[in-house]
Amino acid sequence: MTGYAWAALSAALVMGMAALATAWAQSKIGAAGAATLAEKPELSTIIVLLVAIPETMGVLGFVVAIVILLRATGT
Amino acid sequence: MSKVRLLGARQQLPEILPALQDFGLLQLAAAPSGPMIEPAALTTRDRRCRDQLQRIGRNIDAALAALPTVSPLAPSTREVPIAALPRIARQAWRTRRAAEALAARERALTDERTSTRKYRDLFDAFHDALEQVARTSALVTHAFVVPGRERAALGALAQAIAGQAGAHYTVAMHDLPDGDVALLLLLPSAESKHFESIIAGAGLPELEVPDAYAGRPLGQAIPLMLARLEIVERELADTHAQRAVLAKDATPELVSARRPLRESLARLDALAQCATTPHAFAIEGWVPTKAVAELRRRLTARFGAGVVVELLARDQWASDAAPVALTNPQLFRPFEAIVRFMPLPRYGTIDPTPFVAVFFPMMFGMMLGDLGYGVVLAALAVLLRFRSRPGSWQRTVAEIAAPCAAFTVIFGAIYGEVFGSAGQRLLPWKPLLDRERATLAALAAAVGLGLAHVVLGLILGAVSSWRGERRQAIGRGVTAIMLLLITTALLAAFEILPHALFTPAVIAVLVALPVLVLAEGALGLLELLSTFGNVLSYARIMALGTASVMMAAVANRLGGAMGSVLVGVALALLFHLVNFGLGLASPVVQALRLHYVEFFHQFYSPGGQPYRPFARATGDDR
Repeated sequence: MTGYAWAALSAALVMGMAALATAWAQSKIGAAGAATLAEKPELSTIIVLLVAIPETMGVLGFVVAIVILLRATGT
Repeated sequence: MSKVRLLGARQQLPEILPALQDFGLLQLAAAPSGPMIEPAALTTRDRRCRDQLQRIGRNIDAALAALPTVSPLAPSTREVPIAALPRIARQAWRTRRAAEALAARERALTDERTSTRKYRDLFDAFHDALEQVARTSALVTHAFVVPGRERAALGALAQAIAGQAGAHYTVAMHDLPDGDVALLLLLPSAESKHFESIIAGAGLPELEVPDAYAGRPLGQAIPLMLARLEIVERELADTHAQRAVLAKDATPELVSARRPLRESLARLDALAQCATTPHAFAIEGWVPTKAVAELRRRLTARFGAGVVVELLARDQWASDAAPVALTNPQLFRPFEAIVRFMPLPRYGTIDPTPFVAVFFPMMFGMMLGDLGYGVVLAALAVLLRFRSRPGSWQRTVAEIAAPCAAFTVIFGAIYGEVFGSAGQRLLPWKPLLDRERATLAALAAAVGLGLAHVVLGLILGAVSSWRGERRQAIGRGVTAIMLLLITTALLAAFEILPHALFTPAVIAVLVALPVLVLAEGALGLLELLSTFGNVLSYARIMALGTASVMMAAVANRLGGAMGSVLVGVALALLFHLVNFGLGLASPVVQALRLHYVEFFHQFYSPGGQPYRPFARATGDDR
């Protein structure tokens, strides 16, 4: 495998694992949030925000993946 | 917020409360206490009046709950005169009684119709068998109707009975039109005891003949019930019409009476927060400082010099007890809605609305950043603005969307985007920042904005804490300085800034570090690390922006790749519509999150009690 292929694989792994971690956290928060909304619909905004919090992992994964790819292409 | 005390002659008290309710400026505090001062007591007449008002209110609520909704109803502000109370009381009671009786009758008829329809289905399914049993007393019937999911239990019972009764007797199952399953057993009367124990053992609910037809076999009862079904339908329609007429006749007056009744009750309840001496009354409460003069002016205009407004010294009350009113310039006011999603800030701390009003649309625009989308959003905001009532949530959304659209246009011009990459062909200037290619520059811009936003939050935190907790204030300040110093050192190390800055920045960080530990302890270091995490979190602005521009580029390329111009345009429009929808939702959620989690965390101090002035009732009557 060439150096670029390794970089691409690494970037994909970073992005994929970050996305999986985010999805797992969001599934837990989402389920609890849905249950909360059934009893307190007025908390909808807070629940949406709580669901958005784990996205940081996805965002950071995305940033790291971009940096890996940029380094690999020498940009 | 100012705390004031109103003083006047005791006989003026009954007129003062309605006046204060009209003004809607004063939030009543607990009744003042002291020698010779006691809380104003309700007279026997007041208590009777309150009980009557509460009773009328309960009757009106119950009557309206039992009647169908009549709309639209104009809100009423007219006063209910005391003389009208007996008439309203009678009307509320009569309407409640009639409405509840009609509602109960409608429920009973609906139940009868539902159950008769079930019997009808059963009768249709087992017509011959039921007619046979109606003619003889040698057979008894057992009928079961269960939901389809309990078919297995019904089948097991049918098998158990069939195994013992033999082919001579009927055991039949049938699927009913509504998904239920029916089972009919025709069994010998002589052996009914034996079969009853098997039936009881199955634990399935048996379809009983209704009380009105007790003693008749199902084969006779069902035709009688079916004959009544038409009458039930007619009576149901009649009852429904009577309820509609009653609602149309009674609702407007009952609704009109409800708001003044609530206001009268609020005045009686407010008496408990007034204090009296043998000759004077005293009322204490909170008024926004800017409105104190207005309160004085209005009281003087109505009562002359007889009522005095005394401004209590600030140190006589604890700030935690003071209610919080967010007061911002007209331009920023819509953004109070964003702050109100969180608990209100504590009294005396910083109201973040002006900062939200600047940064929220900026972040939104930075993420969506497209001239075409910005213009569409502006058009939607204008449309919503002119189609909404003042004070409604739609108006607030329109007023927030307008600056968001403006920033979207500005950043669209900077990125050179009009519906994605089409801008590079349409716009006469070169983009300052091409998000599609200059990913690293877009990332730097997003994190740079994050750094500025978080440092601003830390400075606000330092200012906010300075009055009460000096060490914390110093800690916040030092964290802000260290954040800037470390960023400078990093930029100097990568030679984005002159390398000569590296050493002084590192030395300054090393000097600031012990100060931070002294001010905030070891936790200060952890806070510093988490603050770095907060800054990096702003990378989502670039991430969402890149995703948005890529989606738009895909829309344009897909549209261009189609053989037919019409199909290509339709496909591109569809993709752009999806991207625009996502482009509205995601930046809103992410910008909110960046404010609530990353920015507010640095300084926001929740726990304020909302300012609720003693005022006339507002909101929908029904």
